[in-house]
Amino acid sequence: MELASQLLKGDYLITEETGELLLLLAIAITVILFVALPALAFIYSMLFARIHQSSDQKKLLARESYTMQKLGKDNLVTLSKPFPEREINSTGLVMSNITVAPSWWQLFLGSIRSIFGGNIVSYDKMLAFGRSEVMQRLREQAIAEGWDEVVNVRVETSMVMNKIKGGKQNKMGTLEFLAYGTGIR
Amino acid sequence: MEGMMTSNTETIPGFTITKSLGIVTGSTVRAKHIGKDILAGLKNIVGGELKAYTELLMEARTEALGRMMMDASQRGANAVVNVRFATSSVAGGAAELFAYGTGVTVVEG
Repeated sequence: MELASQLLKGDYLITEETGELLLLLAIAITVILFVALPALAFIYSMLFARIHQSSDQKKLLARESYTMQKLGKDNLVTLSKPFPEREINSTGLVMSNITVAPSWWQLFLGSIRSIFGGNIVSYDKMLAFGRSEVMQRLREQAIAEGWDEVVNVRVETSMVMNKIKGGKQNKMGTLEFLAYGTGIR
Repeated sequence: MEGMMTSNTETIPGFTITKSLGIVTGSTVRAKHIGKDILAGLKNIVGGELKAYTELLMEARTEALGRMMMDASQRGANAVVNVRFATSSVAGGAAELFAYGTGVTVVEG
């Protein structure tokens, strides 16, 4: 019996001191996870988001000018028929999409801006990028599938992947752009 | 579903519509994978494209389109004209993708 109780005491390592230490450790981990990391991420977003986004923008511009040079004209039209009437052998649906979100810094700027109202420049850029990117993707998709032209092009915007927390919707501002049309050849 | 013609214009050039079979629909609800959600959340810090969501939504939309074509073929249609898409958030973190159009039978000429 004595031996057993001694063993139990020996095995039971968490004394008062170690217990306090563990508690402190737990608090430290929580602070790092929920305070320090988001703060660091926010600072990172403030400093480097522009670099990430402008590199995407540059790539897009390069691709746009490349397709423009290759085709000599834009292959997307919103008319329901190709304008100089021509013979059509086959048709098919073409679509492309992109999901974009503003960075934390842009969200922050936007939330400040929305107090005073007016043009929210940081969102503007994001949306303009998403929309031109989705159209460029449609062009590339059409070329890859072998369509000469895409008629009746429609571009749609929707908020997706909403997070509903306490009545506040779409905290992240995630938007989806969809472009679709009928490819003809 | 090969050979089913789809178009978002009112007619299919080179074909004549002989019969309209009414509205055909297809939909799917997708929620994101938790791992992808976390990755997308990290990408959200710098903003820009969230590739995980883009792929997920395209996959889902293709499936909705497939279901619409299935519906059309069950009604005996061989083409779907005036296809439209709609997207809506039905619950937190889930999206419904809906495709609809008019099922028709067409003949060449």
